Amino acid sequence: MAELQGLGAALSEAEQAGVAIIAVSPDPNQQSHDMAERLHLGFRFLADRDLAVTRRYWLLHAHGGEHGEDVPTPTTAVLDRSGAVRWLWVSDNFQVRPDAAEVRRAVRGLE
Amino acid sequence: MRSGWLAALSVLVCAAAIVVYTQGLRVASIRNNPEGYVAAFAIGATIAGLAVALGRRWYAWAALGLSVLLLLGGAAFNFVLARIPTPHTTLRVGERPPDFTLPDAAGTPVSLADYRGKKPVILVFYRGYW
Repeated sequence: MAELQGLGAALSEAEQAGVAIIAVSPDPNQQSHDMAERLHLGFRFLADRDLAVTRRYWLLHAHGGEHGEDVPTPTTAVLDRSGAVRWLWVSDNFQVRPDAAEVRRAVRGLE
Repeated sequence: MRSGWLAALSVLVCAAAIVVYTQGLRVASIRNNPEGYVAAFAIGATIAGLAVALGRRWYAWAALGLSVLLLLGGAAFNFVLARIPTPHTTLRVGERPPDFTLPDAAGTPVSLADYRGKKPVILVFYRGYW
C-alpha cells in the first residue's frame, strides 16, 4: 500500500483526474475500497482473487507472502493513451517501492 | 569509563536505525534504501568492538552481542529474505500489455482496454499489505 499512498500524495488532483490509476491485488475488494476511502484516493481497486491476471502477466512471486502464500511482484507501469507501456518498474526487494516522484515524472513526460 | 560511553553510543546508533526505518517507511528515500539500516548496524557493531577493546566490561560485550545480532539479522533479511526473483514479466516498454477484465470495489467489471484512446494509465500490482 505504501506505493499507493505515495502516489496519492505526489499527484495533484488535476493529474489524478487526467490519469487512471488501476491497482491490482489479490485483496478482497472491500478491504481495498475501505483503504481508498480512508486515504481519499480516486483509484480503481481491482480484485485479482485467484491471481489469474498476475499469472498472465508473469508477475507471480510464488510463496512470497507473509504466510507463504503466492503474491504479486510489486510492479508499477505507466501506459500512454494508446495503451503502450512507457515506463516500467519491477521490484527485486519487497521492502522497496517505486518512488512516487519518478512515477509522476513518467506521467508528465507522456505527451 | 570511555568503554561505557562507546557501548551506549553503539546501542543508540542501532536503536536510531530501527526507529528511523520503521517510522520512515512512507519516505521514499528511507524505504527504498534498506541497506541504510544494515550499514547503521555495522557502524554500531564497530563502535561496540571499540568499547570491548577499551574495557572488557559486561556492558561492552552486551552492546557488541546486540549489534552483531542486529547486523546479521538485518543483512539476512535485506539481502536474502526480502529478495524477489526477477519475474519474466510480459510487460515491456513500448509494447501494449494483454488486456484483462477484473471487478472493482463495487463489483463492476473494469477492462484495461476501457482506457485505450482515452486516458493514460498507472497500473500498479501490489500485495495488499504494505
